[in-house]
Amino acid sequence: MNSGEILPQPAGIEPVLVPLDSLQERLTMLLRQGSRLGLLTARRIPPGDDLALVTLVLHPANAGMHVWETPLHSAKSAFPSLTPHVPQAHWFERAVSDFFGILPEGHPRFKSVILHEAWPEGFYPLRDAHPVVPENAPARRSSKFLTVQGEGVYEIAVGPIHAGIIEPGHFRFSCLGEVIQNLEIRLGYQHRGIEQQLTEVPWQHARFLAEAISSDSSAANAWAHAMAVEQLLAITPPAAAQNLRALSLEIERTASHIGDLGGICSDIGFTAGAALFGCLRGRALGLGEQLTGARLQTAYILPGGVAHAISLQARDQMAASVRSIAKEFERIVPILMENPGALERMEGVGKVRPSLARDFGMVGPAGRASGVDYDVRNAFLQEPYAWLPWEAAVEEEGDVLARVRIRVQETRASLQLADAFLKRVSNEETVRVPVPDKLPPRSIGAGIIEAWRGELIHLVFTDENGSISRYAVKDPSFNNWTGLAIAARGQLVADFPLCNKSFSLSYSGNDL
Amino acid sequence: MLQTLIQLLSAGNATQRAMFPALPAYSRGLPGLTDTACAANQGCSACVQACPAEAIQVSPGPAGGQVSIDLGRCIACNGCPAVCPAGTIVEDRSTRVAVRRREELILTNKAVTQRPAQLPHTSPFRRSIHLREVSTGDSASDLEIAASNNPVFDASRFGIHFVASPRFADALIVTGPVARAMHEPLRRCYEAMADPRLVIAAGASAISGGLHRGSYAEAKGVNAILPTAIYVPGHPPHPWYVLHGILLAMEHPLAIEAAPARLR
Ligand code: SF4
Ligand code: SF4
Repeated sequence: MNSGEILPQPAGIEPVLVPLDSLQERLTMLLRQGSRLGLLTARRIPPGDDLALVTLVLHPANAGMHVWETPLHSAKSAFPSLTPHVPQAHWFERAVSDFFGILPEGHPRFKSVILHEAWPEGFYPLRDAHPVVPENAPARRSSKFLTVQGEGVYEIAVGPIHAGIIEPGHFRFSCLGEVIQNLEIRLGYQHRGIEQQLTEVPWQHARFLAEAISSDSSAANAWAHAMAVEQLLAITPPAAAQNLRALSLEIERTASHIGDLGGICSDIGFTAGAALFGCLRGRALGLGEQLTGARLQTAYILPGGVAHAISLQARDQMAASVRSIAKEFERIVPILMENPGALERMEGVGKVRPSLARDFGMVGPAGRASGVDYDVRNAFLQEPYAWLPWEAAVEEEGDVLARVRIRVQETRASLQLADAFLKRVSNEETVRVPVPDKLPPRSIGAGIIEAWRGELIHLVFTDENGSISRYAVKDPSFNNWTGLAIAARGQLVADFPLCNKSFSLSYSGNDL
Repeated sequence: MLQTLIQLLSAGNATQRAMFPALPAYSRGLPGLTDTACAANQGCSACVQACPAEAIQVSPGPAGGQVSIDLGRCIACNGCPAVCPAGTIVEDRSTRVAVRRREELILTNKAVTQRPAQLPHTSPFRRSIHLREVSTGDSASDLEIAASNNPVFDASRFGIHFVASPRFADALIVTGPVARAMHEPLRRCYEAMADPRLVIAAGASAISGGLHRGSYAEAKGVNAILPTAIYVPGHPPHPWYVLHGILLAMEHPLAIEAAPARLR
């Protein structure tokens, strides 16, 4: 964070060849020095469609990143698991096995993470260019839950369809009395095959599919997509567009955080708070609608810039609205945060210790509530954040209260940022640069954004024809679901909904 | 406590009285068709090229081109009205957009025909309806359904209630494209309901699979799995669209009488 420079924009990233026998050593060394495992996946490499592991290593200290490629021995569909040395790799490796059929040998808790019983054994969608689920499918994939044994231990199975208006997933609680001994989370119910589809649609239309990865985070996904494509094309969007993108992203964050504060109120049975935050969230969505034309801000951020500018009149109306939302927010917050009953429900519940949060690579508000001082907006100093004096909130407690506090502080900061971005909007600005028709061949582009749930990554590879051959997405929730499982341990079953809400993770972004 | 009361009293009444207002001018809405002749005869196909959802078909016709737009696929990206040189496709900001038959979502610019005769009033849920929401991969639509029940849109004033189990639900309202791993849970959820029951598909993904059509995950929308009674277009559907769909399921006068004034 020494200079105010924007991420370098050469035509794509040069991959570094890292042989399998030195992968673990190099990775652990860098992680010890403060680098992050951005994502770990695989891809087919020409000729002959052999497989290679792909590792994205992030260096938050100097806003740098590396893409490592590790060719795998073609005759062998296995590799030594990194997880025993790099706990963050545990879900990544399970996903690699789900989608490519390569086994992480020695993985301490190996099983499927996305493709379970609904999918046939032996179907590895990203291994083929055009996967088809085999007809009269053979045996279903097996997927077992960890069982806790002992006198009086019983299981509660919840989902995939839950009681509220929320996404599907299955929770298996092993309990002793009212206390959760272990929670197993099974996701993947919404797997739509998006990574594969992103390699099939015309790339100019890929942005719409990218927004659908987790459609409550359209702005973040659209920006990450645009950033990756712009890196491939070596184009730079106009500063005015970056400013409007950031405005859109902060509106998304504000609306989501306020909505979840309302959700927290519901989950502690505080209906009045839920109604007040609910109405305020609507006003934040209204800002997004005025900026982009849609409450959930779809179809706005695109490679090369944004779809349209805003008028000075709209700017002034929005600025007034931002200030009034901020004022209203300060009026409502105390009824939750200074309410002894509410505080009692939140304090000390669902703790994740900082050391565990770091080990598992937790991100976003959930990570920062457990002392992980990492925010993409700071670490990678994206325009226009770099222009503003600005700091991410961090807490150490790691309980529900800390996560809620972070959301409150971030809402404040987002509203201030939105105000600052609006001030920078001026008349007659170019908000879009022309974009070439074709992507360059054999290139890599990366997009990294602080979505409202945390670090979001899109990593795009093109083949020799300039078609997208691999599109890997790492949703922030992918890092954080393990955190929820840890937080649930030793807690009352009745506190789980509150704990879950305080994480507010994405199922669809995780399932893709 | 006192603080809470003061807050609540000073907040006033948030509920919007006027039902189904048009969306504000800066909002996108869905595409609509006008009488203005389409230029497909002169080789135009700009809308088809622009559409990321494969929702539009055009063909040259005797008096200008013939256009059809499938709102069951449309993700409301505003691509087609933005590129249409003739003004055949325009933005439509009306909010009574839900329909009872899948075909009604396919707009065409052929000569205006009679609207289909109104369906008889047979809904067993005319005074109240209890809904179970099932999400299958479109969280934005979930948010908009939840918003339809917030103090502003206030679905509960019409006897609309969201319940926690299919066991005591009259209707399922489904979002997302229903990919492979949700086929069985959705079916089982429906089987758990008592008759009479009905299904509402909310959003382009739920109606047709939306952008997810054609993936290996077999995401083809709700009616590939369950008989669907009501279709609510949009991506995600605006809370007014959602409310219209639910009131249509109830055959509420507000939803039935002023059906959308669309060309068809
Ligand atoms: S608005 Fe709908 S029909 Fe028109 S281009 Fe976009 S998705 Fe296609
Ligand atoms: S509807 Fe408009 S854009 Fe489409 S073919 Fe006709 S004139 Fe061209």
